[in-house]
Amino acid sequence: MNETNHIQSVFDRDLEAIQAMIMKMGGLVESAIINSAKSLETKDEDLAAQVRRNDAAIDALEEQVNQEAARVLALRAPTASDLRTVLTVMKISANLERCGDYAKNLAKRTSVLVQMQPPEGAATSIRRMAREVEGMMKDALDAYIQRDAALADEVRRRDHDVDQMYNALFREFLTFMMEDPRNITSCMHLHFIAKNIERMGDHVTSIADQVIYLVTGEMPDDTRPKGDRTPYVNMEKG
Amino acid sequence: MNDMRLTERAVDSKDVKIAARKVQVFYGETHAIKDVDVDIDDKTVTAFIGPSGCGKSTFLRCINRMNDTIDVARVEGDIHLDGEDIYNPKVDPVQLRAKVGMVFQKPNPFPKSIYDNVAYGPKIHGLAKNKAELDEIVERALRRGAIWDEVKDRLQEPGTGLSGGQQQRLCIARAVATEPEVLLMDEPCSALDPIATAQVEELIDELKQNYSVVIVTHSMQQAARVSQKTAFFHLGYLVEYGETGQIFTNPKDSRTESYITGRIG
Repeated sequence: MNETNHIQSVFDRDLEAIQAMIMKMGGLVESAIINSAKSLETKDEDLAAQVRRNDAAIDALEEQVNQEAARVLALRAPTASDLRTVLTVMKISANLERCGDYAKNLAKRTSVLVQMQPPEGAATSIRRMAREVEGMMKDALDAYIQRDAALADEVRRRDHDVDQMYNALFREFLTFMMEDPRNITSCMHLHFIAKNIERMGDHVTSIADQVIYLVTGEMPDDTRPKGDRTPYVNMEKG
Repeated sequence: MNDMRLTERAVDSKDVKIAARKVQVFYGETHAIKDVDVDIDDKTVTAFIGPSGCGKSTFLRCINRMNDTIDVARVEGDIHLDGEDIYNPKVDPVQLRAKVGMVFQKPNPFPKSIYDNVAYGPKIHGLAKNKAELDEIVERALRRGAIWDEVKDRLQEPGTGLSGGQQQRLCIARAVATEPEVLLMDEPCSALDPIATAQVEELIDELKQNYSVVIVTHSMQQAARVSQKTAFFHLGYLVEYGETGQIFTNPKDSRTESYITGRIG
């Protein structure tokens, strides 16, 4: 990466402003993930409602990032690492926006689940999974700001752990539902939540991929282990 | 995957038209070009970019021995055109320049008619047996210069009476009239407005069907728009040479990066 400034300092300010928006978005999405999982575990409907309300701010920021990126492309014709900066902010903002939507969806299901008796311990497992994804997101965004490809690569590898957590929860919910059909409604909601958090992990991995592209100019080879085994569950059980 | 590339950006393996090895240029004591090695492809537009004084124009002028006209200039190393050493004493520079045409920064039509501007080269090189043949050559060159329709009814009017953009296209027509194999362009659009620039750029793109075009430009956007290969010169060195898309998205050398992104390098 190039550390020196542009001759036209206004160009530097434009690029810094877009990246600041990404960081702000990242902060909002991280707290949406944490708060939605917390609202589920603590059955806090007010907190869930707050997460749902705050999603509008995330969406608005994504819109703003895209507008500013289009402006920079049109007015400054960026090249090389400047171009990659603009391309990556557009993709990362889309990834963050999706994660925000998943957190909002989690909060919606919280409002439903508080009326039910979900199986013991499930919400705690989900919160642990959400915390892991939030930690990955924090590191991916740090890697972005520090242009740290090694940290980004580590984040990509950690997605495997999230996939493992999801596999475990999938089996757990399946068991609960087989044990007692009255668990089906709550377990279906919990399963969607777990799946959405697993998808957030994929979006964070995509952010990490973008960091590697930004730093090296090349997309990483797809060698990371794929952890979601649930499509094969029945085949494995026979 | 490669089949999906935009065709006009595709750089297929082309024949090497010009091969330069260990080229040095001195202006008196000044060492202007240092150890330049480059292979320029046939039927390709190659752009030379770099800050003022980096040697890009000097190197361009080596390719048709224009530096011979400067007393204090001295060229060392090898430059081969189709495998032949152009600095061999047996090579006649005038014949060489018929094969390696040049277009300059400022349009410089001769103070003659439009027709004579284009006919001059073919005449002195004896390319036409009679008037009818010469007429044909002039028309073909003006068509290739994408200016035929604008001047066909006033071929006897002075070339200097045309607009700047038309004059530059006339100069390009003049350069292609001798059927060159290589066309060197030294900032051909810097004196033109955006519309005339776009016309010349369109013309450059058409010319690459038949010629190897080498263009020196201060406009990086122009280099990005018209060329398939880009060479970045800095302080007399050829710093980086590669496919234009790669140079502008992911340059390998930090000096190239600093230059094309507009940073102080």
